[in-house]
Amino acid sequence: MSLGNLASVGYFLPELTVTATILLLILMHVVTKSPRSNAFGFLSLVGVGAAILLSGIVPAGAGKSIFEGMAAYDGFAVFFKVLTALATLVVIFMTMDSREMDGRSQAEYYIFLLSTLLGMFLLSSATDIVMLYLSLELVSIPSYLLAGYFKGRERSTEAAMKYVVFGATASGVMIYGFSFLFGLTGTTQIAEIGRSLAAGKATLPMLLASVMVAVGFGYKIAAVPFHMWSPDVYEGAPTPATAFFSVGPKAAGFAVLVRFYYTVFAAPDPGSALWRLTSAVDWPLLFAALSAVTMTVGNLVAVKQDNVKRLLAYSSIAHAGYMLMGFVLLSPAGLKAILFYLVVYLFMNLGAFYVVILVSNATNGGEDISDFAGLGSRAPFAAVSLAVFLFALTGIPPFSGFIGKVYLFAEVINRGVYWLVVVAGLNSVVALYYYARIVRSMFLDEPTDTAAIAVPGVPRAMLLLMVAPTLILGVYWEPVARIASDSIRMIAF
Amino acid sequence: MAGFIETVRFSDPYFPIFVLLVIALVTAVGMVFLSQATGPRKYDKIKYSVYECGVDPLAPASERVSVKFYLIAILFILFDLEATFLYPWAVLFRSLGLFGFIEMIIFVGILMVGLVYAWKKGALEWQ
Repeated sequence: MSLGNLASVGYFLPELTVTATILLLILMHVVTKSPRSNAFGFLSLVGVGAAILLSGIVPAGAGKSIFEGMAAYDGFAVFFKVLTALATLVVIFMTMDSREMDGRSQAEYYIFLLSTLLGMFLLSSATDIVMLYLSLELVSIPSYLLAGYFKGRERSTEAAMKYVVFGATASGVMIYGFSFLFGLTGTTQIAEIGRSLAAGKATLPMLLASVMVAVGFGYKIAAVPFHMWSPDVYEGAPTPATAFFSVGPKAAGFAVLVRFYYTVFAAPDPGSALWRLTSAVDWPLLFAALSAVTMTVGNLVAVKQDNVKRLLAYSSIAHAGYMLMGFVLLSPAGLKAILFYLVVYLFMNLGAFYVVILVSNATNGGEDISDFAGLGSRAPFAAVSLAVFLFALTGIPPFSGFIGKVYLFAEVINRGVYWLVVVAGLNSVVALYYYARIVRSMFLDEPTDTAAIAVPGVPRAMLLLMVAPTLILGVYWEPVARIASDSIRMIAF
Repeated sequence: MAGFIETVRFSDPYFPIFVLLVIALVTAVGMVFLSQATGPRKYDKIKYSVYECGVDPLAPASERVSVKFYLIAILFILFDLEATFLYPWAVLFRSLGLFGFIEMIIFVGILMVGLVYAWKKGALEWQ
């Protein structure tokens, strides 16, 4: 059923484009005399833009298994490819606007960024545990390098070190879990593993395997208790890279989480539109507990943060908790809610980071809430944009984040998991406090320096491009919701 | 746990591996404990000194190793693995045909770009 190597190439165009761009970047860096020029950024923009355009060019239809069953080409994979590539595109703009990168070689930065993107492409389509592990590492290793990009800066080095240690441990535990699955079933294809496990009764090894794999994926999406790396990494990494980590790898992590668990430990229920568990292992309950703990810890710890990057790190942990709610329901509407939430999260979170970069540019690297004081009068456009993003992140109508939460909460209620909805509701209240703290500082506190902050044309246009969907998706979300519900179709073997 | 014990069968294909595991564990742990328990203990200065092929120790044993060694080692592994890929490809060259040839050219080409980068960056120079 799966296509051979040569026949698969046509379904692999975005990946090939990104690979070619990476090679070009390396060659250009070798040839050129000025490694600091913005040319690398522009070349990356062209490459990623082309990859986005090529992503949807071949209709996914019912989906195809490509490269002898190594990867899938289906609506689900295409959705995540476009999503992660969009995030990368915005991050490239951010990097070119960030003053943090001034006077440093830019070439390697973009090479790492695009390598991570390639890994995310592969991760969202992998259907074989070897391929899956390989692409997870392809996401992780360039991420470590990005986190430690400022070699001389202590915090950056610390971030990279912590990231490596946590990442290595998590992927080690995960691959041990994979070895159990291979030992139980004798195959590396996740669809085959799923069928084989559904027929057998081995619950103890299955329980071990499902928990161990959860460690690897939980680390990628920064779910509690595998989240400890994320605040330090987010704080120490270059701010554009932080923005990238909080959206890109997290989205790819959700892609692989859903595909893996819904294929290996669950099967479509013939009687209804839902999935059913194929074993006695109740992993949805495990993940429901993780979800509740993740959002609670993320939100409660965010309250105490004064550094905005750390605050956004904890807030992104909390958002992973919200999205996990959709994952445990085993229903198409739950998956649709995750995909929809990822789209709105992309715009509101990257937007918030964009303003953080602008403020940091203007205040000589300031990242504390006090550096945002009086931003309302110093740079009204940026301040209002940030307020929009923060209220959207809180989930207040009429912003897009509210609709995202409505979809998630409604489906949790539909499936009768009331306790989870209560936890999530209480969490949203906590979230309002710390997001509003920044807004209060921007509009009510007196700035120490009252000079106006100039926002140049490109950042202004980018901010507008991210404010627009955050506002529009709050009142007219139907097209994106339709794309999300079309994209939950995973390849059926 | 009861289910686990019930499922242990001597005819299980993995049983020899289990036996191997037990033997390895018993041997390794046993050796350490036996030498601890039965070995004679005589301490003197020479016994505690660093062993350098019988020569008097010149420097502390725990020296810092230059990071350049790791760089060279990583480059070596990279191209060593490339050679490992080339062997099976060379054996099957005729049956793979033009497709296999082009595929390998692309693979080697990508590695070449890496080599050029490492070269240009001065990773091959030992300053």
